[in-house]
Amino acid sequence: MILIIETQNLSKWYGNVLGLNDVTIQIESGITGILGPNGAGKSTFLKLITGQIKPNIGKVKIKGEKIRNNYSLFSIIGFCPEQDSFYEEMTGWEFITSLLKLHHFSSTEIKARAQDALEIVELINDKDRVIKSYSRGMRQRLKFAQAIAHEPEIIILDEPLNGMDPLGRRKIIKLIKSYEREGRTIIVSSHVLPEIEAMTKRIILIHQGKIFAQGNIHYIRDLIDTHPHIISIKCSNPRELASKFIHEEYVLKVHFSSTRDSLLIETNNRDKFFSLLPSLFLESNIEVKEITSPDDNLQAVFDYLVGK
Amino acid sequence: MIISKRFLIIWWENKMNEKIKKGLPSFLKSTKDVFSFFFFLGKKARKTKVFYLVSFFPVIMVLVIKFVQIFSGLPHVQGIFIFSNHIMVLYLQFLILILALFFGTSVCSEEVEGKTLTYLTTRPVSKSAIILGKYAAYTLLIVLMTGIGLILTFLILNVNNLLDFSLYKILFKYTIVLILGLICYTSFFTFIGTFLKKSILFGLVFSFGWENVIQYFPGSTQRFAIVHYLKSLLPFPSGGRFSFLLFRLEPTSPGVAVVMLFLITGVFLGLACLFFSQKEYILED
Repeated sequence: MILIIETQNLSKWYGNVLGLNDVTIQIESGITGILGPNGAGKSTFLKLITGQIKPNIGKVKIKGEKIRNNYSLFSIIGFCPEQDSFYEEMTGWEFITSLLKLHHFSSTEIKARAQDALEIVELINDKDRVIKSYSRGMRQRLKFAQAIAHEPEIIILDEPLNGMDPLGRRKIIKLIKSYEREGRTIIVSSHVLPEIEAMTKRIILIHQGKIFAQGNIHYIRDLIDTHPHIISIKCSNPRELASKFIHEEYVLKVHFSSTRDSLLIETNNRDKFFSLLPSLFLESNIEVKEITSPDDNLQAVFDYLVGK
Repeated sequence: MIISKRFLIIWWENKMNEKIKKGLPSFLKSTKDVFSFFFFLGKKARKTKVFYLVSFFPVIMVLVIKFVQIFSGLPHVQGIFIFSNHIMVLYLQFLILILALFFGTSVCSEEVEGKTLTYLTTRPVSKSAIILGKYAAYTLLIVLMTGIGLILTFLILNVNNLLDFSLYKILFKYTIVLILGLICYTSFFTFIGTFLKKSILFGLVFSFGWENVIQYFPGSTQRFAIVHYLKSLLPFPSGGRFSFLLFRLEPTSPGVAVVMLFLITGVFLGLACLFFSQKEYILED
């Protein structure tokens, strides 16, 4: 593996708000997932490594060179920003070709590359429509296209799957994986664990501006699996249902609601609990109205991991 | 399988290193590429269409004047005289300031407010090339806007003397002065736009406060206004209703005035490039 990005004590704050705190990491070629809840500092980190903002403390190096105001590096970097902003009066084709022009390709090359990029993201049939008429998913794909059109070695993607339909997501994930096979470096951020999981095993967890953990995804999965989950069940007879699983070791607590139509169960083995649940319903002939998991999100996992 | 993957990685590495080593295109080429990007985009922008209409306001005015002249039977006033007053009142004191203000400040601020700056600053072009390229594109757009209106105004007012070629010399001189004004003011507002959030407000105060007051100060003080150098270049006929606009004008010699206008342009463009390269723009959500 080759070292591509290196940060040293990277810190950034916006006034009194801490954006990123003392981040020292090394990123090698391949796919690296940056995972964290909203506001964790993922975008700040990506803006710092692309030189969009200046660190208050620390250094960033891309292939051994400093990034800020080193515009020559952008011939090998492609960046897909998080914000949904465009030159709205341009068509998709004009947007991609105009940005490719800034890479100083010949006009034939610009056309060929724009054609390829728009075909990859399946926008070729809509290339002559103005961007302001694009749907959210199309805009997201267009943003992705501008990041890959010049075939960069390093691709940095800030929440690239936001607003995409499931099919579009699968295609982009497949594409990102194909870039890894070509030996490129891809850094992709998300607040959705399964999205990152589908792309890579190497992840960096960011929480409250700090690198909370980094390494193999299995480590994170293990942490998550031992995290006590709260499950809410709305049914016709909550007390009878509770009596059926109260003796199970992995059920830690049961609370009944004041309305008497639901119960909250705390378990440290969500998978086992869910595998048991259907048979209990059938045996007891209990009518289920709703099953929800109020803390089944990354924020809850992070809160648990940091011991809140 | 492993060998082919390794080969692929080495091939990709070499390709990318070549890409960097190939060297960057010249600064001028980068500026030209940015220029063509924004000239194209500027032509399509809604803002441009609105300001085209604004720049045609003087044309509508002279049409009205011409109709009144023809149908009212009032004593005939020379077209070139109305034309020069028109330049002094509408163009020099209002139109070129408004155009330069709105296009100059937007060189930087529309990228920050529209959150499109990222698309430009993640390309292999220097930040100075971005500023200069966009400045040049917007300046050309407003020069065209002003020029078309100016020529139409001239033709309407001098419709009876179109074969008098000495008048074209005057038109040429006025056009050059207005172009110089647009170049100079736009550079100043470009600079303002790179570091002030409320650049339009500041620009309005500067345009209709500072510029309109300082120029009438006696002695050297009037030299702190850009309009002083522009007026120093104008062949304004003495007397007339608008002669107050030249009140206390102690003109700088034309050569010095031109040098000063270019110097001001250069200084503010240099400062704009410097600020834009060093300042951190936070694209707020």
